[in-house]
Amino acid sequence: MSYKKTKKTLWHYLKIYFFSLFLGLIIFSVGSFFKPQTNCANSKTCKSDLVVSIDNDVTGIFQGRKVIPPKIDLAMNILNPPVLGVHVSSGKKHIYVDLSTQTLYAYEGDSEIMQALISSGKWGRTPVGNFSIWQKLPVTRMAGGQGQDAYDLPNVQWVMYFYNDFGFHTAYWHNNFGNPMSHGCVNMRLVDARKLYAWVDAPTSDQLGTAVSVCDQFKEPNVCIQSKSIN
Amino acid sequence: MIAVRRQIELETFFLLVIGAGISLFFVTYKNNYQPQFSIASSMPSMQVSTEAVAPKITISSQISPDGSKKLIMKTTQNNDNTATYDFSTANENGTNEKLIFTEVVDSSKNMTVPFNAWSPDDQYFFIQEDSGDSKNIFVFKVTGKSFADTQIYLDASSIFKEANTGNNFSEATGWASESLIILNTKKQDNTKGPSYWLEVPSKAIIQLSTEF
Repeated sequence: MSYKKTKKTLWHYLKIYFFSLFLGLIIFSVGSFFKPQTNCANSKTCKSDLVVSIDNDVTGIFQGRKVIPPKIDLAMNILNPPVLGVHVSSGKKHIYVDLSTQTLYAYEGDSEIMQALISSGKWGRTPVGNFSIWQKLPVTRMAGGQGQDAYDLPNVQWVMYFYNDFGFHTAYWHNNFGNPMSHGCVNMRLVDARKLYAWVDAPTSDQLGTAVSVCDQFKEPNVCIQSKSIN
Repeated sequence: MIAVRRQIELETFFLLVIGAGISLFFVTYKNNYQPQFSIASSMPSMQVSTEAVAPKITISSQISPDGSKKLIMKTTQNNDNTATYDFSTANENGTNEKLIFTEVVDSSKNMTVPFNAWSPDDQYFFIQEDSGDSKNIFVFKVTGKSFADTQIYLDASSIFKEANTGNNFSEATGWASESLIILNTKKQDNTKGPSYWLEVPSKAIIQLSTEF
């Protein structure tokens, strides 16, 4: 049995090259198609619209009812930030959210510097897990949900995203804190969110933002019970 | 020579002992001295009688969600086993205080300002009256003005009772919007019932598909 040695032409190598490119393209397309969908508390802005947005002359919608947003004077708000934990300058910052008691705790090292009632997910689940603040926005527009649960809320202030579009922010359309009331985000009173926003650190090029732990149950000072953590 | 020296040493010793004794006497006398008719000694009896007469006053407040206003509750414990509750609104810094409502209740009742008392737009607030197992919710306009039927407040629990839903009012958790108070109920068998909205302007009771 003899083996006939054939000479490889340039065309042969080009065929292999283009076939590899084609195969790679197919794998990429199929992989993208079956990519698991990202959970979004805010289905409108989850796609692209994570920007500062002020809409002072429009009405909002929540639970099928009109909502009048507060007028925003961004310059005033930024010029007068409240100061939280001014005397506590040491220790790592960490926010804990206790879903069982609907309470937020902010720690700097071992010192608790803030405790506030919140409203977590009622029409969508607030993700349990360990995250970090990845973006801060002083004011933005939030929209999402479907049917009766559809919402469109301009001028939502002091937004601090910690996982995809899930974040801390004010809720001017209700005052039912201490009870679940959101589509997955963590609602806070304006008076509390403003203080937290001034204290929270956004990420930098060499450091993550303030740590956030969402717990099924939290026991002070640092026991976070997470039965179904997503990470 | 030695005898003279020993005598001087003894005299010195006795002089020192006498000096120390006199000093001790005066120090002891001074420390134990108490004036017989001092003002300080007569004050305790005056304080006791003052406490018996003066009513006990406590003040608590609840800030609005945007932090711009506060609702102040002043409680005066009267001597006839009743308490007077004064509810007033003010700016965050305490200025522009305005008395909205005053109520005198007997010792079987207690009034409180819930955490979620303020409507989201600061136009209304509600207070809670606890009487044994039952609760009453009174809704006010921040302006202090009356509702359409000249009532200064809306009695949420009575409005709910008149709606004949078949359930019993148990608590008001807060505001679902600028004019909707969330009411929780209990069924006749005392298990948790459905939640309702009380629409303040129309006094309508609206049953919800979601429980709060």
